Amino acid sequence: MQSLRDVERDVARALLGEADGAVVASILGDGLSPAARLGVYRNHVFSTLTDALEATYPVVCRLVDPRFFAYAVDRYIRACPPAGPCLFEYGESLPEFLAAFPPCRHLQYLPDVARLEWAINRALHAEDAEPLDPTRLRGLSPDGAARLALRLHPSASFLESRWPVDRVWRANQPGADPDAVVDLDAGGVRLEVRRLGDDVVFRSLAAATYAFRSALAAGGDLERAVEAAQAAGPEFDLTQTLRELLDDGLVVGSSAPRSRVGA
Amino acid sequence: MTEAEGRVRTSAGIGLRSPHVAEVMATRPAVAFLEVHAENYMGGGPALAALDRLRHDYPLSLHGVGLSLGGADALDARHLTRFKRLVDRVEPELVSEHLAWSVAEGAYFNHLLPLPYDEASLDVVCSRVVRVQEALGRAILLENPSRYLRFAHSPIPEPEFLGELARRTGCGLLLDVNNVYVSCRNFDEDPEAYLDALGVSGIGEIHLAGHAENEADGRRILIDDHGSRVADPVWRLYARALERFGPVPTLVEWDTNLPELAVLLDEAAKARHLLEAAGRRERDAVTA
Repeated sequence: MQSLRDVERDVARALLGEADGAVVASILGDGLSPAARLGVYRNHVFSTLTDALEATYPVVCRLVDPRFFAYAVDRYIRACPPAGPCLFEYGESLPEFLAAFPPCRHLQYLPDVARLEWAINRALHAEDAEPLDPTRLRGLSPDGAARLALRLHPSASFLESRWPVDRVWRANQPGADPDAVVDLDAGGVRLEVRRLGDDVVFRSLAAATYAFRSALAAGGDLERAVEAAQAAGPEFDLTQTLRELLDDGLVVGSSAPRSRVGA
Repeated sequence: MTEAEGRVRTSAGIGLRSPHVAEVMATRPAVAFLEVHAENYMGGGPALAALDRLRHDYPLSLHGVGLSLGGADALDARHLTRFKRLVDRVEPELVSEHLAWSVAEGAYFNHLLPLPYDEASLDVVCSRVVRVQEALGRAILLENPSRYLRFAHSPIPEPEFLGELARRTGCGLLLDVNNVYVSCRNFDEDPEAYLDALGVSGIGEIHLAGHAENEADGRRILIDDHGSRVADPVWRLYARALERFGPVPTLVEWDTNLPELAVLLDEAAKARHLLEAAGRRERDAVTA
């Protein structure tokens, strides 16, 4: 007699297509084949996950057409099933999967459109956080400020693409002009995606601002963010950039520089 | 008993799905309670904000679909922590989960998968229910699943398995009448006999939903798709359940082909009429 763990492992592998349902000897046919009975569950699993991915990636689905999307995500679900029980967290690796998926490799901009849709989904569901009171940053020494790490709002993410993915996204929204043509050679974008109130918004940032904010989002301290910004554009003004960041309500926390022990 | 519990106890609620949230917020329909899937509210943003507001006007029922209480893999501690945080935040009147599993070898299926019913699996599910109830500091309700297959080795009938689970852990039961109907019809069993095999106490909530009828290899199979009105035989089985168990807070669920909110409210009103009739019968029996 199989243990519960073995029974569930066999069913799980059969659902993902790693084994034929017929090999699941623990299942009764009851007038059907065991494989057909497992098929009822498999259909439900795949339709739930496909619907979830379609809800997260509606523009990708529209760009490749829903039938191809269903085919691609069927492969994706088998290769990368969910790692957690919350459907809104499923699909983060779909952009990388699409980039490596031979049937759509010619759509070079598609993975970046998918990254934008993931950033939007992430922003919509991110944890809530209150903006930092700017007065808490007063009185820092220049050295202390340089080593300050600013925590950005959990909904914020930054996306750079050599394709105009923001225009592709807008042209594929419900109600968009169906005859609009996006020039894919119109140049790349550096986008900031975040939640504002109940809405998700994104906008294009100048090179230095993008470098500064994305360095902070990656966990870099202020000094590193300033270096990144100066490398990206000589027009960078720290005081103004920092004020804009605080005014945007994007800073939700700071970790005070650690005092150096010894030395 | 609080007023909210009183409302849950005697009337009918609806499963709240995201396309209906704005309308429910704007029109505040007269339903006894709202039930949501816990896993849809484990982030932040507008979804959670709406739930924070609605819980002041409606008793809430939090329905988990991802704890995998019938799973042999270790309980997902991070998920249980998030579940508890949500329970603490929205203070639901009812908390429920399923007699099912949804994860194996790290892969989540986001579906309620069946397990064989024997002493070993009973021990596994009991230990999980105990752990969840200890973490949450309250009893939960456990729901009977819809079933499309049977295991060769599954010696304990489902109603008996559920009854024993309730007896050993102190959990209550969420009786999904549509699931009883679907499962029994799929295996040529008698749905009324299923109800009779359940103990008369401990049913904390009833679920109603629509199902579909499909065919596989010339054999009729009922699918619990929550995609239509409650079928007539399920309404009759529900009336039979109310005779046996008395009035129990009842929820109408709808997930696929989601209709206008008004249709869902109409289904809830039908359940409420049957509940009120059952309540009158119960009072008459007491005064007779």
